[in-house]
Amino acid sequence: MDLHLDEDDLNSCVQCGLCLPHCPTFRVTGDEAMSPRGRIHLMREVQDNGAPLTPEVLESFETCVQCRGCEPACPSSVPYGHLMERTRETLADAGAITPLWQRAMFAPLATPVALKAGSAALGVAKRLKLVPKRLGLPDDLPLRQEPLEPTGTDVYFFTGCVMDAWQRDVHRSGMRVLKAAGIGATPTNELAPCCGALHAHAGLADQTRDLAEQMMGNLRDDKPILVDSAGCGAAMKDYGHLLGTTEAEAFSSRVFDIQEFLADHVGALPQVDPLDLRVAVQDPCHLRHVQRVHLATRTVLAPFVRELVEINDDGLCCGAGGAYSVLQPELAGQIRDRKVNSISAVQPDVVASANPGCSLHLAGAGVQTLHPMQIVDEALSQ
Amino acid sequence: MSLLRRAVDRVRGTDDSVRGAQDHTTDPLLDALIDALDPARVKFDDAQRSLLGKDASVFDGGNAGPICYPTSTSEVVAIMKIATQFDRAVVPRGAGTGLAGGAIPLGAPIVVAVTKMRDVIEIDEANGVAWVEPGVINLDLTRHLAPLGYHFAPDPSSQQVCTIGGNVANNSGGPHCLAYGVTNAHIQAIEVVTPAGDVVMLGGLDAEPDGYDLRGVFVGSEGTLGIATKVAVKLTKNRPAVRTLLLSFSSVRDAANTVSGVIAAGIVPAAMEVMDNAITQAVENYVNAGYPRDAAAVLLAEVDGPNEGIEIDANRIREIGLENNATDVRLAADEAERALLWKGRKTAFGAVAQIAPNYYLHDTVVPRSKLADVLDQIYAIAAKYELLIMNVFHAGDGNLHPLIVFDGRDEGILDRVHAAGAEIIEASLAAGGVLSGEHGIGVEKQAYMHLLFSDADLDHQNRLRRAFDPTCRANPGKVLPAGHSCADIQHLRSVPAGLWG
Amino acid sequence: MSRLHTADPVLDAFAKEVGTEGAVAISGAQTRWNTGGELAAGTRTITAPSGIVEYIPEEMIVTVRAGTSVAELHAELRVHGQWTALPERGGTVGGAIAVGENDYRRPARGDVRTAVLQVRYVSAEGEIVTGGGPTVKNVSGFDIPRLITGSLGTLGCIAEVLLRTNPMPSGQRWFTSADVNPFALHQMLLAPGPILWDGATTTVMLFGHDVDVEADRGRIDSLGTFTEVDAPTMPSGFRWSLPPADLQDLSALDTGVFVAEVGVGTVHAEKPQPRTPLSPAVQLIHDRMKAEFDPTGRLNPGRIVGGR
Ligand SMILES: Cc1cc2nc3c(=O)[nH]c(=O)nc-3n(C[C@H](O)[C@H](O)[C@H](O)COP(=O)(O)OP(=O)(O)OC[C@H]3O[C@@H](n4cnc5c(N)ncnc54)[C@H](O)[C@@H]3O)c2cc1C
Ligand code: SF4
Ligand code: SF4
Repeated sequence: MDLHLDEDDLNSCVQCGLCLPHCPTFRVTGDEAMSPRGRIHLMREVQDNGAPLTPEVLESFETCVQCRGCEPACPSSVPYGHLMERTRETLADAGAITPLWQRAMFAPLATPVALKAGSAALGVAKRLKLVPKRLGLPDDLPLRQEPLEPTGTDVYFFTGCVMDAWQRDVHRSGMRVLKAAGIGATPTNELAPCCGALHAHAGLADQTRDLAEQMMGNLRDDKPILVDSAGCGAAMKDYGHLLGTTEAEAFSSRVFDIQEFLADHVGALPQVDPLDLRVAVQDPCHLRHVQRVHLATRTVLAPFVRELVEINDDGLCCGAGGAYSVLQPELAGQIRDRKVNSISAVQPDVVASANPGCSLHLAGAGVQTLHPMQIVDEALSQ
Repeated sequence: MSLLRRAVDRVRGTDDSVRGAQDHTTDPLLDALIDALDPARVKFDDAQRSLLGKDASVFDGGNAGPICYPTSTSEVVAIMKIATQFDRAVVPRGAGTGLAGGAIPLGAPIVVAVTKMRDVIEIDEANGVAWVEPGVINLDLTRHLAPLGYHFAPDPSSQQVCTIGGNVANNSGGPHCLAYGVTNAHIQAIEVVTPAGDVVMLGGLDAEPDGYDLRGVFVGSEGTLGIATKVAVKLTKNRPAVRTLLLSFSSVRDAANTVSGVIAAGIVPAAMEVMDNAITQAVENYVNAGYPRDAAAVLLAEVDGPNEGIEIDANRIREIGLENNATDVRLAADEAERALLWKGRKTAFGAVAQIAPNYYLHDTVVPRSKLADVLDQIYAIAAKYELLIMNVFHAGDGNLHPLIVFDGRDEGILDRVHAAGAEIIEASLAAGGVLSGEHGIGVEKQAYMHLLFSDADLDHQNRLRRAFDPTCRANPGKVLPAGHSCADIQHLRSVPAGLWG
Repeated sequence: MSRLHTADPVLDAFAKEVGTEGAVAISGAQTRWNTGGELAAGTRTITAPSGIVEYIPEEMIVTVRAGTSVAELHAELRVHGQWTALPERGGTVGGAIAVGENDYRRPARGDVRTAVLQVRYVSAEGEIVTGGGPTVKNVSGFDIPRLITGSLGTLGCIAEVLLRTNPMPSGQRWFTSADVNPFALHQMLLAPGPILWDGATTTVMLFGHDVDVEADRGRIDSLGTFTEVDAPTMPSGFRWSLPPADLQDLSALDTGVFVAEVGVGTVHAEKPQPRTPLSPAVQLIHDRMKAEFDPTGRLNPGRIVGGR
């Protein structure tokens, strides 16, 4: 079956295996079929050698968290993320993966009202203990929140879907920190309802393209667009590749992770007493492996806390991966256990994580995280 | 089971009602293995068999039988006994990073992947060893030991992924093995499941273990003498001080002469690595480590030890470099610069991948004094076959790593690559060298064994192997060339290869 | 390949002498003659060829015939500031390798087993067999040199070996102390040299560059009072092989008077170490090994390897 993968990309893998230990699913299973090298080999078998789409082949593809931890580890620069997205797109189109009920799950993301209603309902349900524990949702899903007001027009502040519904406090902190640095921000709200990252993961690339076009149409000037969710930022930085147009390229180049942007403006932030905290930085995969700007988090946090510690696992994924924790609860749980162990080993007071998916997922294991912006905000406001 | 869960399972094919339960099959061998392990850890689907038919080498054509993921020695014993009962061969496998095809299954053997046996069992400081399971990753072990001030000395470029079991089986080396010795110098004892299914402890923690040195013989045996299930590795104390020098030269010969000169001066640095111009450029493009792009060759030399004496060695190396026309000698100013230089060296193979999609990494050893001559010949071979060959090597012990860089999709290219490879091997042997310094023979160099050894020599190697494995059950078809009993695969079963080959 | 497969009249003559029939044993200097048991009566005794064949100091390798005395070899190497791991106690190179025991300065000199890069021996069938290779690094095929080292001549008659040589450290000095804990001393030193302990006094060799020796000298003073002495000699007697940790409580063992190599585990003792048989599965491999290499049992009969 033609997976529509670029032959050069597919052939760039030399099967050296250097990516294996950086793959969360290989780490917990030791199974070659659950490794990047294995998945690429199977893509080749399917596309070039006519191998059938057996349940095992589909399982291999579907268990990929799409964390892209394999990419920075790969000496041959195999564009794994794109290969897997394309594979999923082809398979979803063919109806081989992402069945209708799953597609239905993603639909509300693009319509914030529906999501908020759903999420409020989920919040209620959760409180009533109707939601299975393995979904790993936090205990205090917000029921109702104050709207975000613009603080200026220097930059856009991307509010998104899930993040806005569940973690508007993070946005608030981010905007306050920006303001403290003298940067006025306009929340995008309905101008940019959803980045389409989850759709892309599930192989629903057409929907992602639609969302991208919509956002680009609404944010036409050349102001930077700041994002405080690593997954969204990664997706938006990839519009250039997704749409293949120069406009999209230009748009993507305006997208910055909020820490990435602030790292160049730390000097503009007021000098305050650091918080008396030992903070472990949990790098979201989409910040570290995809955007590769995770060092900025440290630059921004360092002046505001007593101590920063590194989690000693090479930034291995926590298993959240968009909807992964829902679709592959068992593996996601094992991957999370590993992460929780690595976190406990460094005994932090607080874990900083710049992605809502990771925060929710880790909260499911009792690890409370704060967004780096919340920590800086706290330090500035004490 | 919830509906949602069921739906997910159906898609993933783990729903038994869809896939057919794996715990009762029509194959008695599979049934026996499943009984002994657990249905989830015995695989026989086409995808797995295709995946485990390969390793990191350029060789295709493996044909895996059932694949087992044991978690304990007793499970490995059970697998061996079942293999005996069903008269099947067994192939041990670690991370599958071998470059000589050692882990490629020939003739549908049972593949025993030890990747789930990955615990550091015990650190015994009083005896200077750590007991580890074979699936422990080399670099993980070193990191695990770091808080105690130790490391595992062999540091192959694949150390972030290769397993201790694989290191033992291939007697792996790395840049820092010049002073510290290759894997064999760092293994005290090995628990092995023999091809008959006995558990034996080879070597021991005592000073001079009794009997024939079976531990020493097992190291480097490429999975043909049994499966290592537990290894006692030596702890090496971390060195408090390191000096890393980067020397640039306007000819490869000058670099090679410097290397010989340093050794002749009685200095055994921790590492001495040379890269030629082509690979240095590739590395610079890739990681920007600060290597000089215009040098014909660079030498990365490192000395370590207590604080006091290494200055003397570092200075001496500098002087010897200058005597041999070094155009520049630089001392890494700090740990960051040192780390960057090493990163450049260690990602050399990756850098190459930026140039063309395929590479074939050779691995011969020549006397240090012949390095320059053999390199000249290698460049001539490259010209003759119109191939790009880059050289990055463990110069300190004469271990050449010519990298033939190519695009496998070019018509007829593989023939040229192999022909050039053969000439490189011949040139190395003619200079008094050997076939392999660290990757092993596997299926790659069997045919060349006759160039290094006489029939009687090979016959004696075969006897050694038979003493462990009279029925040639462990990894048959490897190391020894055709004509020797265990080279002719007896335990072949043709399993319909089907689509997956 | 060059020299390996070309005829060597000396080796050919030796192979003829070993022949293809009848019990035969190689005699070196007979300093360890009865290791492994007494030679069976009626065994023909011959000597291996001697002499240094080729010494390449800058490659740190030397090819030497098995009958050469270690003293003669080391005298030659010393000219170039090198030595090998072989113990210097009056024997021959071949004998030292057949017995496989290490020098008491092993931490500073290396292991006999890692020193043998290539071995040429005459098989029970009278053929010249070569194992290993001439380079310091080599994984081409099975490790015959390891098998032959310590095999007491029961698998083949060692004719010639190619050894790895090492530069002698520029500084080597011995110090002794009556009030130091030898195990603490071992723990403190970065690359501990030989540390010898008789239950009361500790004697340590510091080696390396003179500055390193001086620095170590300063460090060890914090543990006890040391005075400089000449290199010690090992008592004759019996040799024990123990895990290094076991040396911490030797009183439990019936060694008699002893000198222990701390950090190594070898103990030079007045009384012999109790014999422990090999495990049956290991014994089986030994038996098969012997049967493979010497089907008729004509090589060094009476000597048993393993189960000391
Ligand atoms: C990018 C790259 C760089 C490399 N650099 C180096 C280098 O610098 N130095 C070097 O020496 N090698 C190097 N290698 C080769 C390879 O990594 C080593 O040989 C490594 O030790 C193999 O380990 P593995 O776990 O991948 O073993 P595998 O490839 O899985 O197996 C290798 C052999 O070991 C046997 N085996 C595995 N486990 C066991 C066991 N438990 N018991 C018995 N037999 C077993 C297998 O049957 C096979 O014959 C490199 C490879 C790559 C891809
Ligand atoms: S994206 Fe993540 S889970 Fe998927 S193969 Fe790469 S490392 Fe593994
Ligand atoms: S590291 Fe890159 S080239 Fe190597 S196996 Fe993984 S994806 Fe392939």
